[in-house]
Amino acid sequence: MANDSHASSHAKTLPAELGAPAFVDGWRNRALMTGVVFSVIALILAFLGQSQDHLGWDHFLRAWTLGTVITWGFAVGGLTLLMVQYCSGGKWGLLLRRPLEAMSRTLPLVFVYWVVIAIFMKRLYLWANYTSVSATAAGLKAGLITEIEAHCLNFKRPMLNPFAFLWVGLLCFAIWGLYAWRLNALALQRDAQGPETTPYWIKKFENVSGLGIVIYSATMTAAAIYWVMSIDVTWFSTVYGLLFLVEQGFQVLALGIIVALSLAKAEPFKTILRQTEQHDLGKLTFAFVMLNIYLNFGQFLIIWSGNLPNEINWYLDRIRGGWGVIITLDFLFHWLVPFTMLLSRDLKRNKRRLILVCQIMIFAVALNQFWLIEPSFKDAARNLHLSWGILEYIAVPVAMTAFWIAYFCTRLKTRPLVQVNDPHLKEILEPEHAHA
Amino acid sequence: MPAREGTYGLLAEFETPGDLVRAARQAHQDGWRRMDCYTPYPVEEAAEAIGFHRNKVPLITLIGGLLGGAAMFGLETWISVLAYPLNIAGRPTYSWPAFIVPAYEWTILWAGLSAGFGMLALCGLPALYHPLFNAPNFRDGATTDKFFLCLEALDPKFDLHETKAYLGEFKPNSVVEVNY
Repeated sequence: MANDSHASSHAKTLPAELGAPAFVDGWRNRALMTGVVFSVIALILAFLGQSQDHLGWDHFLRAWTLGTVITWGFAVGGLTLLMVQYCSGGKWGLLLRRPLEAMSRTLPLVFVYWVVIAIFMKRLYLWANYTSVSATAAGLKAGLITEIEAHCLNFKRPMLNPFAFLWVGLLCFAIWGLYAWRLNALALQRDAQGPETTPYWIKKFENVSGLGIVIYSATMTAAAIYWVMSIDVTWFSTVYGLLFLVEQGFQVLALGIIVALSLAKAEPFKTILRQTEQHDLGKLTFAFVMLNIYLNFGQFLIIWSGNLPNEINWYLDRIRGGWGVIITLDFLFHWLVPFTMLLSRDLKRNKRRLILVCQIMIFAVALNQFWLIEPSFKDAARNLHLSWGILEYIAVPVAMTAFWIAYFCTRLKTRPLVQVNDPHLKEILEPEHAHA
Repeated sequence: MPAREGTYGLLAEFETPGDLVRAARQAHQDGWRRMDCYTPYPVEEAAEAIGFHRNKVPLITLIGGLLGGAAMFGLETWISVLAYPLNIAGRPTYSWPAFIVPAYEWTILWAGLSAGFGMLALCGLPALYHPLFNAPNFRDGATTDKFFLCLEALDPKFDLHETKAYLGEFKPNSVVEVNY
């Protein structure tokens, strides 16, 4: 309470040591071991799949795409939430900024993941195999592609070709890298200076971030189209970029909450994590849960209403032949479970349960990507079937995410966990309702 | 309903929210239950001090939202399937995707209305009369700059003289007796 002289006397003091607690090393080691184990499993599955239906390595690469999209969501989504936070302000930012910065500094690993996709693009993308009108005509004549695919391949070639894929990808990574580097460097400079510089830094970060969010929206839309949507050359959706954008907010908030609440077992987060801000983060996550179903259902409703042959097949590929089970589970884990659970005020204030909801949400993001990616391939469209290759969708992303988490932990340890040159720091150290 | 006559309670006036909350917390600790705080703006600490940890507004909102959503979805289903079935581009009459949007809107509408009116009802509003307004300092200060604690006569611990002395220990601006 502002007008009460007793509040300040109960304010907590920030511990002297602001670095990440020692157990972050434990997380990293566990993540590394998980990564190694699942890498071995992924390799075994690829050989088993290859001998079963000759799709083992294809499935390996498809699952690799999934892993890339997930870790990309964490890295670049983390960068974006950081920029959003600098523009919006709010005390919850003090809990998330350093974890988000650490996420943004994992971009090199995501780039390595992407390079693998770029190298093997012919195994993933139809357009990478038919790079000229004559090649498309030959493919059509040989019955390898349908007439619609041939038409789309020719029509979309200016955008969907290996050259554009590579350069757009490189440009996107360069832009994201630039922003990640700039924001991370400025944050250290900010902390090195005294409180009299705070107004300058707030403005500075706003200016950098505001434009960054706009540029990010465009670049991430391009990336989502190239990496995932173009697996099926015949289909397009104008809301596709926005779907990925919201999905990234969804998964980054979930991971950010898990990290912040887990860090609160020790200093310095033990001091700065209050229930008020934990509750705020839960509410923000709830908003993303709602926004996500809103956009996904909006896209479905429009295509369902239109019922046009060049659009509806995308959904039919993903509903018929067993895929209805996956989309139902997706609906449950992506919306119904987080929505109903996050409605509760008590749950948002309970660390253990909030972490559980966030874990379910991250699982749902992976399940949703599986539903987006796998049915794009002819062998799986309207035909969900168990094979060794399908299990790659568990092994490869788990391994890739585990390595990413290990890298993230390393990044988290490199700087203090609390940004000190911030006016909110004083407020967050004040007690919440206990002393009026 | 107890007879509405005699003393309603003793009203202590405080200058700051901090003083009010300290007094309210102590009184609650000392076993007082029929009591209430009155402040010009929301002071969450005051509500917590007298044991208001939760209220029924969320439950009312949930029920209102569910009823609203079910009502609209039911209405659409009844119209499209039973009352006036139309063939629209060959779709089944029970086309649930098309029903979602109005049902969703009604969920929000009824959740919002339930929250608003439920809150008013739980606060006992609208009320045409409340004894506290008999106290002139309450009329003048409760909505501007004073903070009040009322210990009500319905509490078994209430005794006009002892309670007046008890409230005096918190050093309020004044303690006045309020009649029905």
